[in-house]
Amino acid sequence: MSTKTLEKTSARELDPKKLAARKRAYRKAEPYIWIAPSLILMCLFIIVPIVYVFATAFGKVDRFGRISGFGGFENFANVLDNPEVGRVFLNTIVWTVLVVVISTILGFILALLLNNDFKGRKIARAIVVFPWATTLVVQASVWSFIINKDFGALNTLLKTLGIISTNIDWTPTPEAFFAWEIACGIFVTIPFVCFTVLSGLQSIDSSLYEAATVDGAGYWSKLFKITIPLVKPSLTVSTVLNIIYVFNSFPIVWTMTKGDPAYMTDTLVTYLYKLNFANFKPGEAAAISVIGFVILLACASLYMISTLKKGDE
Amino acid sequence: MTASLLNPRVKKLLLKFILYIVVIDICILILYPYFVMFCTALKSRAEIFAKEGTVFPIKALWQNFVDIWVKAPIGRNMINSLIVAGGSTIIAVVCGIPAAYALSRMKFKGQTAFLGFIIVSQMFAPVVLLIGIYKILAAFGLTNSLFGLICINAAFNQAFTVWLLRGTFMTISAEMEQAATIDGCNRLQAMFRVLLPVAAPGIVTTLIFIFINAWNEYTVAMCIISTDVLKPITVGINIFNGYNMIQWQYLFASSVFATIPVIIMFMCIEKHLVSGLTSGGVKG
Repeated sequence: MSTKTLEKTSARELDPKKLAARKRAYRKAEPYIWIAPSLILMCLFIIVPIVYVFATAFGKVDRFGRISGFGGFENFANVLDNPEVGRVFLNTIVWTVLVVVISTILGFILALLLNNDFKGRKIARAIVVFPWATTLVVQASVWSFIINKDFGALNTLLKTLGIISTNIDWTPTPEAFFAWEIACGIFVTIPFVCFTVLSGLQSIDSSLYEAATVDGAGYWSKLFKITIPLVKPSLTVSTVLNIIYVFNSFPIVWTMTKGDPAYMTDTLVTYLYKLNFANFKPGEAAAISVIGFVILLACASLYMISTLKKGDE
Repeated sequence: MTASLLNPRVKKLLLKFILYIVVIDICILILYPYFVMFCTALKSRAEIFAKEGTVFPIKALWQNFVDIWVKAPIGRNMINSLIVAGGSTIIAVVCGIPAAYALSRMKFKGQTAFLGFIIVSQMFAPVVLLIGIYKILAAFGLTNSLFGLICINAAFNQAFTVWLLRGTFMTISAEMEQAATIDGCNRLQAMFRVLLPVAAPGIVTTLIFIFINAWNEYTVAMCIISTDVLKPITVGINIFNGYNMIQWQYLFASSVFATIPVIIMFMCIEKHLVSGLTSGGVKG
């Protein structure tokens, strides 16, 4: 690898011209050698599965996932024919939009609060990290314990405090259960938004605010004219990443309801998991994967294009 | 408008007071699930299902924290998590450092394409590709093996690794390395002797971040590991989460073990992580 050893060995056999050519060739190839390990790792365990998922989605597939020939859009037609699929799509959209939007707003507000100077700020920041650091299965298990009707911690707490006298059924309908799942999703997503915005806030030059104060700007005009435009890049990063993560989030829904009853609380990822591992329809599951990817790619690129354009102006 | 009638010092004090109340409330809300988890882990089964529930355990049953190690292979699960998280971190960083170095120090054709590829790879969560992941692991005979899990985690964390490290490297001037090259170091030596020591804080942040991600990973582990003694802790705790009967006290006692190490690590890197994330993003 080292150019020194290369020089030594080649000096014996090659004249200077050839040596220079060889050196130039190595210079050209060098960056690719450096990125090779990373590229190989990702190709093997991400690209190959992607190719396989696409091949499965567009192939004729038996229940064990063996592909025998090209099936066109057969799998897509089959899966879109399922009566529950409309519900699943609706759930996925509601889930992604509500979790991303609400956690972005709340995370932003929380970041503004934590950006103030007060005693105990470090402790508050450390506490806010907790939900981010906890594995989603644990978080979701605790929440399903909290909202349980018969022995849940929330009912117990409210009864002990004397606020209620009989247990409240927090999840009377599948929709209510799904709402709790969304709440849990928001709860675990806020810290990420909060910290991304905080890092943006801390990079703002405080002299900007001082100048604005001298000019007589109030809190709100400073917020909308200085703070928000300047943290926008951080917000863009966190929103794009969140759209992807929340859309693909599996453990919360899986731990709390497993998509039950009757697909009423399923999102695309839990649905495709069931199609593949419970219903043994890998072709249809792969079709869902492809649809999900197309939606995600469309959303993410739309968002990125719009923010990049705004950034240019 | 009423606030402006007050004298500015009173107003300032009032605002500070409100700020404290709001922040304290938020902290209580965030800590509430952990409080529930810990209290429930100390209760007896009878107490959990009692008609008149309790907030705090009547008598702290520390025995629960001992029982889980006997009733389930929690010890093994913890070790498995350690192996998987550690192994994924090492592979991800060993592959990621050279790539990040090339991206921040060299110009080559396909550089933008490689960066774009890294971003697009983030759009595929492992769960969407489970069918394909299972196939490739089966082809290598790596299903139901920790090494298979390590490879998947390392690959899916590659984007973050390269992104974070590239951001770190780009904040460091290349001049020192160039000086070292003139002094007779080759690129590899220059990287090891000059760049990496300077970039150490950023690298440590990246290491811990991948470690946490791999430790907390659940979906792939659940699908490809079927033997109890090979399961990492996130999947292992579900042994107490049966279809008909959930052993809440044990589930939460083992959850405490699964959670605490990660929270401590996260608190150590919290400050560096986000600055690394955004600096890599904004400059890209």
